[in-house]
Amino acid sequence: MPPSRPNAKRFIRSLSACLLLVLCAGTTAAQNADTSAPVLLTEADSIRAVALESVNFLRDPFTHNTHVAFNADRRTRVALFAMNIQLYAGEGANAFTAEAEDGARRVYPLEVEHVGPVPEFGGITQIVVRLHDQMADAGDVLVRVSLRGMSSNRVRLSVGHAGGGLPDDTGAVPTPAPPTSPAPRPQASPNSYTGPASAPDAVRFLEQATFGPTQAQVARVQSIGIRAYLEEQFNAPASGYPTLPLMPLDANLGCQGGDARVCYRDNYTMYPLQIRLFKNAFYKPDQLRQRVAFALHQIFVVSGRELNETSWMSPYLQTLDRHAFGNFRQLLYDITRNPAMGDFLSTAGNTKEKPNENFAREILQLFTVGPDLLHPDGTPKLDAGGNRIPVYNQATITNFARVFTGWGLAVPPPDTQGILNFADPMIAHERHHDTDAKTLLGGATLPPNQTTLQDLNAALDNIFNHPNVGPFIGKRLIRQLVTSNPSAAYVGRVASVFDNNCAGFYADAACPGERGDLRAVVRAILLDPEARGDIKTDPNYGRLREPVQFIAAMCRAFDARGIGAGGVIVESDGHLEPYATEMGQDVLRPPTVFGYFPAEHIVPGTTLKGPEFGILSSSTALRRIGFTAMMVYGNGIFRGKTIDTPEGTFIWFSSFMPLASDPARVVSALDTLLLHGSMSPNMRDAVTSAVAVIPPTEPNYLLRRTQMAVYLILTSPQYQVQR
Amino acid sequence: MTKAMSESRRNFLRRSGCALMGAGALAAHVEQFGLIHAFARAQSLSDYKALVCIFLEGGNDGNNTVVPVDDYNAAGGYASVRGASNLSLPQSSLLPLSPPSQQGRKYGLHPNLVELQTLFNQNRLAVLCNTGTLVQPLTRQLYRSGVGHPYQLFSHSDQVEQQQTCISAQPGHTGWGGRISDVMSGANGAAPLPLAISTAGTSLLMSGDDTRQLVVNPEVRLNELFRVDLGNDFSLANTEVRRIAFNRIRADATAKLSRAAAETVEQAMQAGFALSLDPVLPPLQAGQTDFQTTPLGKQLKQVAKIISLRAQLGVRRQIFFCSLGGFDHHNNQRTAANSHDALLLQVSKALKAFHDATVNLGVAAEVTTFTLSDFGRTFEPSGTGAGVGTDHAWGNHQFIMGGAVRGGDFYGTFPTLALGGPDDADERGRWIPTTSTEQYAATLGLWFGLPHASLPAVFPLLGRFPASNLGFMS
Repeated sequence: MPPSRPNAKRFIRSLSACLLLVLCAGTTAAQNADTSAPVLLTEADSIRAVALESVNFLRDPFTHNTHVAFNADRRTRVALFAMNIQLYAGEGANAFTAEAEDGARRVYPLEVEHVGPVPEFGGITQIVVRLHDQMADAGDVLVRVSLRGMSSNRVRLSVGHAGGGLPDDTGAVPTPAPPTSPAPRPQASPNSYTGPASAPDAVRFLEQATFGPTQAQVARVQSIGIRAYLEEQFNAPASGYPTLPLMPLDANLGCQGGDARVCYRDNYTMYPLQIRLFKNAFYKPDQLRQRVAFALHQIFVVSGRELNETSWMSPYLQTLDRHAFGNFRQLLYDITRNPAMGDFLSTAGNTKEKPNENFAREILQLFTVGPDLLHPDGTPKLDAGGNRIPVYNQATITNFARVFTGWGLAVPPPDTQGILNFADPMIAHERHHDTDAKTLLGGATLPPNQTTLQDLNAALDNIFNHPNVGPFIGKRLIRQLVTSNPSAAYVGRVASVFDNNCAGFYADAACPGERGDLRAVVRAILLDPEARGDIKTDPNYGRLREPVQFIAAMCRAFDARGIGAGGVIVESDGHLEPYATEMGQDVLRPPTVFGYFPAEHIVPGTTLKGPEFGILSSSTALRRIGFTAMMVYGNGIFRGKTIDTPEGTFIWFSSFMPLASDPARVVSALDTLLLHGSMSPNMRDAVTSAVAVIPPTEPNYLLRRTQMAVYLILTSPQYQVQR
Repeated sequence: MTKAMSESRRNFLRRSGCALMGAGALAAHVEQFGLIHAFARAQSLSDYKALVCIFLEGGNDGNNTVVPVDDYNAAGGYASVRGASNLSLPQSSLLPLSPPSQQGRKYGLHPNLVELQTLFNQNRLAVLCNTGTLVQPLTRQLYRSGVGHPYQLFSHSDQVEQQQTCISAQPGHTGWGGRISDVMSGANGAAPLPLAISTAGTSLLMSGDDTRQLVVNPEVRLNELFRVDLGNDFSLANTEVRRIAFNRIRADATAKLSRAAAETVEQAMQAGFALSLDPVLPPLQAGQTDFQTTPLGKQLKQVAKIISLRAQLGVRRQIFFCSLGGFDHHNNQRTAANSHDALLLQVSKALKAFHDATVNLGVAAEVTTFTLSDFGRTFEPSGTGAGVGTDHAWGNHQFIMGGAVRGGDFYGTFPTLALGGPDDADERGRWIPTTSTEQYAATLGLWFGLPHASLPAVFPLLGRFPASNLGFMS
């Protein structure tokens, strides 16, 4: 955490006298004492903030810059005051976000520079924010602060001039300070999550930790608690991917006789693995491992579109499964020697004569440290000129390219001609390995004349031990599982567990102090106070469900099935890939090493990161709706529609239809399972009244009503975002 | 927008024109929403113009796209570096070009670019030599002293971004096409389609502060593109109930990511109302080329169809984004299914078909098509034998096509093809660009009608380069 600024310290020293007047002017107590949302203080009779320019303690309207250079940039800092804030160990300014919205609905993120108690007003917290560069004369703005996904009330203040802002938020009331200062709040102690879980938090947890909540799993989490459920998931055996036969490179040789089309599909395309991915997601109990492995696939990307054979992809997917709760260093090693990765990023056949930079660059940029030096909480370090500081340069890449020379595919099985060995890890060919000295990250050097494997291990140690790995990988995993815009404090907590699995709130009793323990990292991500809770009110919280998750969650919630021989109800055949592809996610075949969508994508019209929005467009958004219509109203994907859908996939509503005699009841049950009870009154009214329009006299009215509610919820923008 | 605010922003721009700020800080300011709004939006225009970007994803090997013929066998030149490898294009196979600006020096196109050679000779195609991402003009000496390096040079994701953002000093989140659209979308009045349209998914190039690009699937007929499937339970009354509730729920989405998802659907629905038919393109004339069903062919055909509706839709300015993947030929450059040769063949045929379509639509001089790519590739081969490829490099050659292009010539400066030579960033033949992507884009933007006064806001570092108009547009 950066040290608090001198002006903030001065502020604390001399605030009391000034503040006494303001704070004691209030007569009614602030409400909301029983939730964890901060409450920003206002004047007694309006929502105008109790806010002071942080050096001279002047009230608003605030000038954009101070006349005296209290800071290098002269930008005005404003102190806001809040109640109902209880911090965890280590939480400071980086646990908070703040933003202001002006009369033109322009939103300005405000950097939170300092958070601390107000002397002699122990229950009041001051929050110092830096005015945004572009809000010079914004007039009235509404300001909120957020902590762990919970938003405060919005309060009004003026920048440049008073007036011209938005009207008060609906239902906003003055929140003046109480007549006497509230008692200081002790440091928060983390929930152990060993007791039974509430239904909303159980559903939210299952959205993050599985491919979608089911009524049965919600009940299970509620009864045994989140902590025990997590341990159950850690110990569930991997459902995994099949090991498939290596085939001749030439499909015409590999598929002679019989049905060549089926042979080609089953041996030279990703079909067998794509259907396995969906079937595992629908039916297999190791949900958390699958979800984490799919997240790792999107970090350590190998694309099936570059691989000739199905069997080449399996060992890669098995590696991700195997290490999903293992150690990151071992994962890095196995992935580096994996032949599919070797083929995809050109390590296989990489020689000292012409070292290939492909893997060298991506292992640094995408798999481990990222391009810029990071603070432990994932925020970029800046140089004196305000620029990011690169972790490596082209010379570093060239050196790592030389490290990764000498690798080649393992020897093919005996008596096989024209078959490449993509089953076993790559092997070293010392004569192709560059044995000169190499300079690695941080100026570390590899001595000359090491073997291919010695160089590899030393280089992987060098990368693995770089302090960037924890925050870089921690943030990527948080974004995959929980939220696209985590607070820096959340990233920092997860990174500290990556650095040492004895750190954090949820260390095992027998933790060995290990670095890179992914089980501990996943646990820290999912039990973090920013992940947990019945509801999140911060409007910036959440992540767009990616297409695979959208499809799987629908199929899990409504018990997807297929139809087998003789009309027997069986499992779905899992052939959902064409629909995910239409929605922009070609399963196991991402377009590039950057995955299905850009990791740093900014949602247009906002300042928020939203990687999954990289594939949500005017076209693909409608495909989500079309898929929902097909599944809810169109009887799904029917058996035998193509040769690739032998059993088809349909969803059914048998556990909800009996409730539909009462429209409010069926909507409420669906709200719980699909939106963890977060439906707004207006949306609830819209769904319920649409359901109620269908009269009991209409044929199949229970089904029709349930379909109506399910369609409206699944197609809603509210449902698209997991929050 | 208050007057005072726009005044202060103008002042800021005046200051930034004087380059008082570091590159990072300056670009960061331009990135912040709002800045561009200080400029009066372009008035509704009476003429029609379109820009069509073709992004060659992965980094096109410009060294095998445009090859010197006269200097083919020069010491340390093409033959000596590539001649022994499977990358080598025989001198006799090159399609000759005689650009007037090159003092009689002859060059050759890759043998699969037959159609582009024809267009070049008809003055409908120009080549911009050795352009790329820059934060300032550079020499080998300057570069090697550590000065003026674009952010994360040679990295795909960052260089793709910088080609599209024209902000090479740091990561950016708006593209230059999107920023042009932010300034000029007023030209289209209340047209139901946004100015920015992509046939290749959401692109950074087309993302503005306000601009949300329309993404068009090239595989679907226009009138079926944006249909909301409300489902069917055999009751029209129920469907109508559903439609009303569907719209009401969408309007109630307030959390920001939900709101963004809702707006995406709303944009699609608006486009759906407007695109009620799938137009048929005018018949081909003698000697013309039809669109092939290649990835790029399908995209450009869809673009031509949308252009054909310009009058009905009431649009005056459009920017289209198309892309073709597979150019990251670290290995198997000549032998992969998606070999460099195969991709260039596809590009050549698709460009010709698109050019012919614009001729038939009467907008050949109103539509300008141009290529971009992540970066060029190392002149020195990577690997050996049939699997030979090339690594990430920097400066690259690009094509500009259309009736308004001063075609049949080269612009910019062709690099000295020599490992460790005056244009090499290191020893592998990574050309230091002599023309910045910003100059390239600004030239296109000025032709498109971007006001001169808007140049600093859209292209923040342009003032550091000698020319903001490279002269290849008439």
